[in-house]
Amino acid sequence: MTSSSVNSAILRAQAVTRQVSYHGQQLAILHDASLAVAAGESVAIVGASGSGKSTLLAILAGLDAASSGEVWLAGQPLSALDEDGRALLRREQVGFVFQNFQLMPQFTALENVMLPLELAGRADARNAAAAMLQRVGLGHRLDHYPRHLSGGEQQRVALARAFVLRPALLFADEPTGNLDPATGQQIIELLFELNAEAGTALVLVTHDTTLAARCAAVYRLTAGVLARGEA
Amino acid sequence: MRRLSWLMGWRLLRRELKSGELTVLALALLVAVAAMSSVAFFADRIDSALTRQASQLLAADLVVNSRAPAEAAWQQRAQAQGLRQVPTATFPSMVFAREQAVLANLKAVASGYPLRGEVQIRTRQGVKQGTYSPAPGEVWADARLLQKMGLQLGDSVRLGSRNFVLAAEVLREPDGAVDVFNFIPRVLLNHADLAATGLVQDGSRIRYRLLVAGDAAQVKSYRDWLAPQLKPGTRLEDIEEARPEVRSALERARRFLGLTAILSVTLSAAAVALAVRRYLSRHWQSVAVLRALGQTAPEVATVWGSLFLWLGLLAGVLGALAGYGVQALLVYLARQWLGDGLPPPGWLAWLTGPLSALILLAGFALPPLLALRRVPAMAVLRADVPAGSRSLLAPLLALVALLGLTAWQIGDGPLALWLLSGLGGFLAAVGLLAWGIVLLLHRVPLSGAVGWRHGAANLARRPWLAVIQIAALSVSLLALLTLTVVRDDLIGAWQRSLPPDAPDSFLINLQPPQRAELTQTFAKVGRSAPEALPMTRARLTEINGKPVKAADYTDERAQRLVTHEFNLSWRDAANPRNQIVAGQWWQPGSRTPQFSLEEGLANTLRLKQGDTLTFDIAGTRWQAPVTSLRKVAWDSFQPNFFVIAPSGWMGGQAASYIASYRAPDAGFNNRLVAALPNVTVVDISAIVREVRAVIDRLALAIEAMFALTLAAGVLVLWAAMAATRDERLYDVALLRALGASRRQVRSVLLAELAWLGGVAGLMAGGGAMALGALVAVQLFNLPLALNLWLLPLGMLAGGSVVALAAWPLLRRVTHTPPSEVLRAN
Repeated sequence: MTSSSVNSAILRAQAVTRQVSYHGQQLAILHDASLAVAAGESVAIVGASGSGKSTLLAILAGLDAASSGEVWLAGQPLSALDEDGRALLRREQVGFVFQNFQLMPQFTALENVMLPLELAGRADARNAAAAMLQRVGLGHRLDHYPRHLSGGEQQRVALARAFVLRPALLFADEPTGNLDPATGQQIIELLFELNAEAGTALVLVTHDTTLAARCAAVYRLTAGVLARGEA
Repeated sequence: MRRLSWLMGWRLLRRELKSGELTVLALALLVAVAAMSSVAFFADRIDSALTRQASQLLAADLVVNSRAPAEAAWQQRAQAQGLRQVPTATFPSMVFAREQAVLANLKAVASGYPLRGEVQIRTRQGVKQGTYSPAPGEVWADARLLQKMGLQLGDSVRLGSRNFVLAAEVLREPDGAVDVFNFIPRVLLNHADLAATGLVQDGSRIRYRLLVAGDAAQVKSYRDWLAPQLKPGTRLEDIEEARPEVRSALERARRFLGLTAILSVTLSAAAVALAVRRYLSRHWQSVAVLRALGQTAPEVATVWGSLFLWLGLLAGVLGALAGYGVQALLVYLARQWLGDGLPPPGWLAWLTGPLSALILLAGFALPPLLALRRVPAMAVLRADVPAGSRSLLAPLLALVALLGLTAWQIGDGPLALWLLSGLGGFLAAVGLLAWGIVLLLHRVPLSGAVGWRHGAANLARRPWLAVIQIAALSVSLLALLTLTVVRDDLIGAWQRSLPPDAPDSFLINLQPPQRAELTQTFAKVGRSAPEALPMTRARLTEINGKPVKAADYTDERAQRLVTHEFNLSWRDAANPRNQIVAGQWWQPGSRTPQFSLEEGLANTLRLKQGDTLTFDIAGTRWQAPVTSLRKVAWDSFQPNFFVIAPSGWMGGQAASYIASYRAPDAGFNNRLVAALPNVTVVDISAIVREVRAVIDRLALAIEAMFALTLAAGVLVLWAAMAATRDERLYDVALLRALGASRRQVRSVLLAELAWLGGVAGLMAGGGAMALGALVAVQLFNLPLALNLWLLPLGMLAGGSVVALAAWPLLRRVTHTPPSEVLRAN
């Protein structure tokens, strides 16, 4: 970790620990995890099921709080913000892609993509969202509801929603976990293309090492311990 | 951002209504609002129709009754408020005609009389009905006077110092029937002629009445203005005090309506609570997504808060319209009995729908809505994030909402509180019992068919859900049972309070030797003679040895009672229609001096058991202690007496007799008078008919309303079942994926529902039994035995209703591929 990368880091975690109480015993899910992601950089976090990947992602994205340690997102220490403060920070800086897509079932594809634009108060939400869906190859399915879309299509909508605001940082949680290999491959290609176009930093959580290898840096999480691995 | 949240709420509402996500909640609200609105509309219209009908008996909305003519200020005020007014004056006076003199009750009325109701008169041109008053120089008389004096229309009649032409026979005057025991003939004359008769002198016993009518709010405001400035001897009369039998019918009707209102409120609330719970639990994930995308907690709450607000308004307006339609249909169906002239509902009844929807939502949706603020963004990554603790806010808010809504519906806070606390107790008992049964199912290893075992296990696996379902179901079933079974008992008991063979004629002034003649006259038509009761006039002179003075009392009725004679009777055995409320009736054949007093009289004169009373009867003193107090049913149309003494003591006293009976045929009363010329026969059939008509109409309207609430109950029950459909659907899909046959799945499902329905039905049966008994005794003063059949009936109803409500679910289960359900979850 060079000093320049630390200074320009969009995301930095320092000695993050997460403990839960289970039947009166303290269990450490995360132990002393530190990492830094520079602007535009792509980082993979790999690990087996139950290694604590989702917990780490949640803490890095401000969805959950660390028991100790600190996370700086866009230079802001998350521990200084309350839940609503973190929400506002996410609104401005962060995009998400989830394994199970997490589209709003009651909204059309277009409205799902419009959501972050509207939350940011953008007047051109409709046009920008339509253009983004065009970009991911769904220009003809703007008014379709998630339940009428295939898994691959749903994940494309999710990608469009994640990138439409050109966030500084994108968290992707097993983005191909619910897709067949061929569709998963297409989604990954699209993800990296969009990432490059937007200059977004990417934190990719996966158990797929080939996928991880496409990232500039790889961290490996083993039983709650994070270590910088081989790319 | 606020605006965006509101817009999102609106957008969500439109989408979810279309996709069916909100169907159950919207339907539950719609049914609730429609039921409440139609009850409100109907009650409002019936109420104003009844009040109007009732004012016809008073010939006005309000009457100012005084010893002196109405003050100019009162009349000016009434005029300023746009109220119509007519003065009348009544007093007893002799009527001279055909060289006879007969005592009659004179009533002078100004033109415009009556303000409410109609007079019916027979003139030489025939019978006419409407707003009529005698022209100056003319008088009208009733059949009693015509009969007594042998008068014909056109004859000359003298009142005081002036002659009048008898222009019409009064067949019916609206306010003439106020006093049932009004035996003296009546004569009506024009108010302008009053002075010319010379009968109005200082000290004349004249009662002046100012009849007032108009807009209800104006009448009330006039009443409120006038009441505080009335001097002693002046009083306000309205319908509530004009006719006790009509008042008691109105009172009971209002309570019946209140009962239906409370039941529909309860049903709706249960359904709304379940539907909201289902809806929000299905949207947990959407909230988490919005939080992850950067919406703050207040913004998220605004999105769903506005959705519910929009939904409440929509359901409120549509429900009110639907309620109006239902009510209009009801009125149309019942037009034969209700007549066409029902007044339109007031604007307040229109508010009932939207407002009740919003209150229901505030009570039942707000707590889970506020819990949405606590949905962690973390839930997008993991489905098993804890939802946060349950708070007491929900039941408390719900209770407050219910109480407010109910009190508002029936306009009787204490009654609402009373019934709701009963309901609360029932719910608590049901909750506890259900919890116990569910625990038992969990502990006890059930043997038997796989269906029964799994069905029971399914219930035990989600104890909270099972308890909520059982509670909701039992309240609904309780309502259904109350509406179907208990209703018949109550309405039947009410209608029986005035049996079809209620007397319609009174016979007075029968002399002791004529009793044989009376028996004979009745025997000729194959009937046994009615019981003839002795009656004598008595004046109360001393209480506990002290002389009684009118000045001892401020109450006008008490003053009247101690300054006038009233009827006293004697008998051996107690009248079975009288209820002894204090002390004891004497032994048959008793010769001990003692009195039995009517409860109301005792209260008015502040008398109690043990007081010694002295009566003056034709110059003889009769002194004795009060040994019992009686409650008398004044609306039974039987002769009743304030004071009764033992026959063995007072029996030798001279008396005339009184009897009441139902005339066997139209000419009977005339034949009786011909056979016994000195007796007076009073035909009260018109009054009996009127009271019966009021009761029958009310009973019909109430039954119609019950039917409506019943329909609402079935619908709401269905909504309550649908609220837990997802959980069941998922379980079934899992079972089928594991290889269960459709038959097995069906039996599991049916078993669970049978357990549910049976337990809920049993509790509802017990509740309905207790409620019926309580309501009858406490609210309606009717005797009612416990109906044990309600228990098995409740279980049966529970099982069948639940099976019926679950039918669409069973169908869906067999037609939905399990993969679809599992993938969706």
